[in-house]
Amino acid sequence: MRRLFTIILLALPVLLLAQVQDGDNRYALSFNAGYAYNKTYQSYGNFDLGAYLPFNENVEAQVDMRFSTTNVHSFGLQVRPKITLPVGCLYFDTRLLYRDIARNEINEYSGDVLLGYRMQYVNVAIGCGMRVITPFHYEWHSVGLPVLEPFIFTYKVEGFVRPQTSKWNLSLCITNIDDYQIERVWQPLFMLGGWYNIDHNWRVRLSTECKPTGMFHLNAAFYGLDVRAGVEYRFGRGRK
Amino acid sequence: MKRHIISAIIIALFMLAGCVDPDSTTLDMAGMFCGSSPRVDQRFAESQALNALSGFATVKAQSENYRIFVHADTHIMDSRDNLEHFIHEYRNALDCPLALHLGDLVDAQNHWDYMKAAYSDIPQNPAKIGGDTLFMTLGNHDLFFGQWEQYKNYWGSSAYYFIVETPSGKRDLFLILDSAEGTLGTDQMAWFKEVLNWSDTQDFRHKVVCTHTHLFKSDGSQGHTSNFELEETYEIMGLLAQHDVEMYWSAHDHSREEITFNGVTYLVLDALQEGSDPAGYMIATMGDDIGYRFVEMR
Repeated sequence: MRRLFTIILLALPVLLLAQVQDGDNRYALSFNAGYAYNKTYQSYGNFDLGAYLPFNENVEAQVDMRFSTTNVHSFGLQVRPKITLPVGCLYFDTRLLYRDIARNEINEYSGDVLLGYRMQYVNVAIGCGMRVITPFHYEWHSVGLPVLEPFIFTYKVEGFVRPQTSKWNLSLCITNIDDYQIERVWQPLFMLGGWYNIDHNWRVRLSTECKPTGMFHLNAAFYGLDVRAGVEYRFGRGRK
Repeated sequence: MKRHIISAIIIALFMLAGCVDPDSTTLDMAGMFCGSSPRVDQRFAESQALNALSGFATVKAQSENYRIFVHADTHIMDSRDNLEHFIHEYRNALDCPLALHLGDLVDAQNHWDYMKAAYSDIPQNPAKIGGDTLFMTLGNHDLFFGQWEQYKNYWGSSAYYFIVETPSGKRDLFLILDSAEGTLGTDQMAWFKEVLNWSDTQDFRHKVVCTHTHLFKSDGSQGHTSNFELEETYEIMGLLAQHDVEMYWSAHDHSREEITFNGVTYLVLDALQEGSDPAGYMIATMGDDIGYRFVEMR
């Protein structure tokens, strides 16, 4: 429980920064609630809180928190320098992710860097990450070592059916990362998502994430599904 | 722009289709999208039915300290020199009541006859011939191309436990799990928890969990092998620590690894496959503590 308070306290200042910003890159807050199922936890619920923070035209940040009824909670911080090109946008995504796996008394610290290119219809990114796993009550100066996964190849290929400035959109994505996890390279996630802009400020989102298992055991089977719906509030009115 | 995207998708689909070679005899590429054997929950149900018929084995050790020969990833194809060497060594070890295979016994379909010849018609799980006992674990190569029926008919259950009892009555628990499709599934996970809870009420000297799939991706050797999903990885780690399991023996990666985390030692074995460098196996010594050493083939 103390960890949860720490996560919230760390996140609050960032969330409070998300107040007023005009222009196309507007501060935004989002909330999702979701139902999920997997073969390990079976049915459970997730509650997500996020903030999108464009500092200027070339740097943006994103904070994501997930609280789950499985007693596994996530806190992620992404900082994303970007360059707008004549066609599309080149970005460099750096991320730190902490997962409090309280049900198993395990901490997971992970991070990744992604080089990505986003256009109106396509978003592709590749990169690498690493993970450190420690038990609760781990003493860093002790003899025992944490588990280190030093290289995780990360990737994301996403397609949209409409330009991203559209009032509504649908997307299909294959990746091994999302806002709350960095999976191993051979454990892909398949996502189907969409949004609808109600007005200048409010957007509704719906997304589904399917996680197969054993694809590279050559014995693929369904493992889990995560369905979430939520709203996003963007501050200011934007230029359009 | 739309046409470019549609073209890219079509090209990608063609490339993907090219990977799926229906005539492949070694890799069941269609299994990347849909496994050809029954799913883990069905295999577990069938294994439970077999367990109900045969019961769980208790092996009598001849001494307080005994050894177990553990091999994995033999990937039998058309040559089995390493396996025959292993069997020879095991059969000549006096203080060794059993051997254990951690999966991927055969490389793919059509290789079962070579395997059977190597084990000299050892018929069941636990297989016994001439005083030898061999416990088997299901690997992903033993499963794809719809090989579950062959495995089950020859070896029996893929999820079970056995106990080794020493002359003074000390007992060691070995729990075998079916992870051949990268998950234990819901039913086997529930049974796993049940057995661990039961084991807490017994006075076991040691508890060891044995399965094919390794838990971590901690070095470059694991580039080609997939794991459990992260959720399941952490669940297994949590259970092992919570129930005082001392060791987790696995394979799949073909490259040895030793990690100790939260009081549990996680081992990955070298492959015994022909041509592996190094090819090898492990000898575990069960006494007041568990010792182990990796043996490289010469």
